[in-house]
Amino acid sequence: MVFVYDGSYEGLLSCIFTIFKDRITPIAINAEANHQFTLLDVATRITTNDEWAVRVLKGVDERTHSCASGLMYKIFLSELPLCEMLVYQLVLAIIQKGDGTVLENFANPHILKAAQIEKMIHREVHRMHAFVRFQKSRNGFFYAAIDPDFNVLPLIGEHFEKRYADQSWLIFDTRRHYGLYYDQDVMKFACADDPVFSINLLLLQDESFQDEKEKQYQALWENYFHAVNIRERNNTKLHLRHMPRRYWKYLTEKQGTYKR
Amino acid sequence: MSNILEKLRILSDAAKYDASCSSSGSKRANTTKGLGNAEGMGICHSYTEDGRCVSLLKILFTNHCIYDCAYCVSRRSNDVKRAAFTVEDVVDLTINFYRRNYIEGLFLSSGIFKNADYTMERLVRVARTLRTQHNFNGYIHVKAIPGASPELLHEAGLYADRLSVNIEIPSEASLQKVAPEKNYSDIITPMNYLRSEKEKYVDEKPHIKNTPLFLPAGQSTQLIVGASPENDRHILRLANSLYQKQKLKRVYYSGYVPIATDNRVPDLSAPPLVRENRIYQADWLLRFYGFSVDEIVDEKTPDLDLEIDPKLAYALRHPEKFPVDINRADYEMILRVPGIGVKSAKKIISSRRHQYLHIDHLQKIGVVLKRARYFICCPGLVVKPGNFQVENVRRAIIASDRAPAAAQMGLFG
Repeated sequence: MVFVYDGSYEGLLSCIFTIFKDRITPIAINAEANHQFTLLDVATRITTNDEWAVRVLKGVDERTHSCASGLMYKIFLSELPLCEMLVYQLVLAIIQKGDGTVLENFANPHILKAAQIEKMIHREVHRMHAFVRFQKSRNGFFYAAIDPDFNVLPLIGEHFEKRYADQSWLIFDTRRHYGLYYDQDVMKFACADDPVFSINLLLLQDESFQDEKEKQYQALWENYFHAVNIRERNNTKLHLRHMPRRYWKYLTEKQGTYKR
Repeated sequence: MSNILEKLRILSDAAKYDASCSSSGSKRANTTKGLGNAEGMGICHSYTEDGRCVSLLKILFTNHCIYDCAYCVSRRSNDVKRAAFTVEDVVDLTINFYRRNYIEGLFLSSGIFKNADYTMERLVRVARTLRTQHNFNGYIHVKAIPGASPELLHEAGLYADRLSVNIEIPSEASLQKVAPEKNYSDIITPMNYLRSEKEKYVDEKPHIKNTPLFLPAGQSTQLIVGASPENDRHILRLANSLYQKQKLKRVYYSGYVPIATDNRVPDLSAPPLVRENRIYQADWLLRFYGFSVDEIVDEKTPDLDLEIDPKLAYALRHPEKFPVDINRADYEMILRVPGIGVKSAKKIISSRRHQYLHIDHLQKIGVVLKRARYFICCPGLVVKPGNFQVENVRRAIIASDRAPAAAQMGLFG
C-alpha cells in the first residue's frame, strides 16, 4: 500500500503509526507534493495527528536510550528520495529487535544507509556553521542568506543562539523560503511572506539597508582572506573540496572572485 | 579605514607562515549572554586557495622585530614594510569579524619590539580587553614570547584558550646557526611553567568552587621542516617528548617555504610538502593509533618513505604481524591495518557483535580495500594465502594510488 502525507515530519510519523496500528506492509510513503498517482497502487492519505507522532517518537526513544528520534529527524530533513521509507525501516528494525543495539550493526543495509545520510547531514550542518556570513543592517540586525543542500536550518539554530546571544539575527534559506530569527530572547521560524522578514538578495546588497561600516568590514575580510594565502603552496583541488563552488554566492570573501 | 586595511594586509601576510589554525578543545561556554562560545569543536570558516583552513583572525601585533632569524620574513635585516596595530585596532577587528561569523576568534602573534615583556604586555592587553570589556567568549590563541616574565605568562593564561611558543628549528645547534639570539632554554622554560600552572588549577578544581579557566585548550608549538638538516626520526622523537613531557596538545609542522634570500638557510625550489604531509601522518599514528616513534622510524630507516604513508610502510616492514582476522583480532591490531582508520575500526568492532563480517560489509563500512586486502583475512576475500611479496604489494598499492578513479571503477562495473 502507498501512503501519502502532508509533507510535515509529524505527518510522516502519523503514517508510520498507522502502518504499525493496522499491521500493513507499505510499498512507499510519499509527501503530497511529490506524489504521483498511478493506477496500480492504492494510495491512502493520512491526516496528520500530533498525538500519534509523539507516540512513535516515545516508542523508539524508550527502546534506544533516546538515540533514534534524532537520527530519524535528520533522515527526514535530508529530503532524499525514499527517505520516508528509510525512517519507517529504522522504526521497524528497532521495534523488532526491541532495543537500540541494532543501530550499531552497520552490516544491516538500512542502518548503514541511515548512518551515511546522518553523516551527510552532519557535514552540511557543519558547513552552515562555517559558511553563514552575517551582515549588519542600519537597525542593528544581522542578516544571512543560505542555500544548503539539505533542509538543515532546524538543526543549526542552537549553535548560533549560543554564539550570538547578544545580537539579533536572521538566517534565511533562499531555496526553501523560510528563516530562523532570534531577538536576543527567543528563536522562531519565520516565513517569506511575513513582512518583518521580507528580506531578499537585492535588499541585502542595498547600501541604504546596510550599516554604514558594513562595506568596510566586508572589504577588510576579503583582503585578509587573500593576504593569508601562501601562493607557493596553491592547491586548487583541495580548496574546492573544502569550499565547493555552489557555496560561494553567499561567501563574503568570494564575491570579488565570483564576479571576475 | 585605508590605514587599517594596509596594516591588516601587512600583518596578516607576515603571520600566515604559522601553521596553527586549531580552534577546538576549549571549554569556554557563553554563560553570560555575551558574545561568542568556544566550548565545541573548532570550525574552519573558510579555506584559502592553498587549501589551508581559516579559522582564526591570524595576525601579528607588529612585524617590527629586534631579532634576525634567517627563516623569518620579519627578521630585522629583511627589507619589508613594517606596521603595528594598536590594542583597539585588534579588538575592533576581532569583534566585528566574529559578529559576522567570519572567524572563531583571534590568533595573535608578534615580532619583538624593545623586549619580550614590552611585547607580551601588549598581547595580554588585547586578550584582557576582549574578555573583560567586551564579554567575548570566542577562542583566543596568543603567542607566548620567549623570555617574557612569569607574571605576564600567567595573566595571558587566564584570558587565552591556548598559548604557544614556537620551537621553529628542531635542534638547538641548528637553531643557533639560523637564529643567534634564540636558545632552547628560553623556549622550554615558558612551556614548563605554563604546564605546571595549568596543572595547579586542575589540582585545585575539586577543592575550590570557582576555579578560573586556565589555558583550557592547552599549548602547542611549531617546527619548521626542511630549513635545517635534522632527519624525520629526530623530529618525531622531539615531538613525542613534547607531547609527553610538556603535555602539548599539538605540534605543527611547517614545510619550509623558501622566503628568505639568506645564506644561513637552504635555497629550496619548492616547499617540501610531501615530507610535511608524511610527518603529519606519523604524528597522527603517535597520537591516535597507539604507535611508538621507534615503530615508525628507527636507526636503520630514520626518514619516512615519501612514496607511501608511514602506516603502510610499517605493515610492509612487519609482514609477520599480518594478515589480521577481521572477525577476531583486537581493536589495536585492526587499527594497524592500512586502509582502516579509527572510524572504520570502531564500526567493525561494533558490527561484528551482531554478525559475522564479510568482505562486502567492510567495503560498505568505508574500509579502503585496495590497501587493506593484502593485510586482512575475511570471508569473501580472494587472495591466495602465502602469496605476500612485500615488493609486489608495495608496487601494486603505489600503482593503484596513481590510477585514475574511473579506471578503477571499470574493473567492477
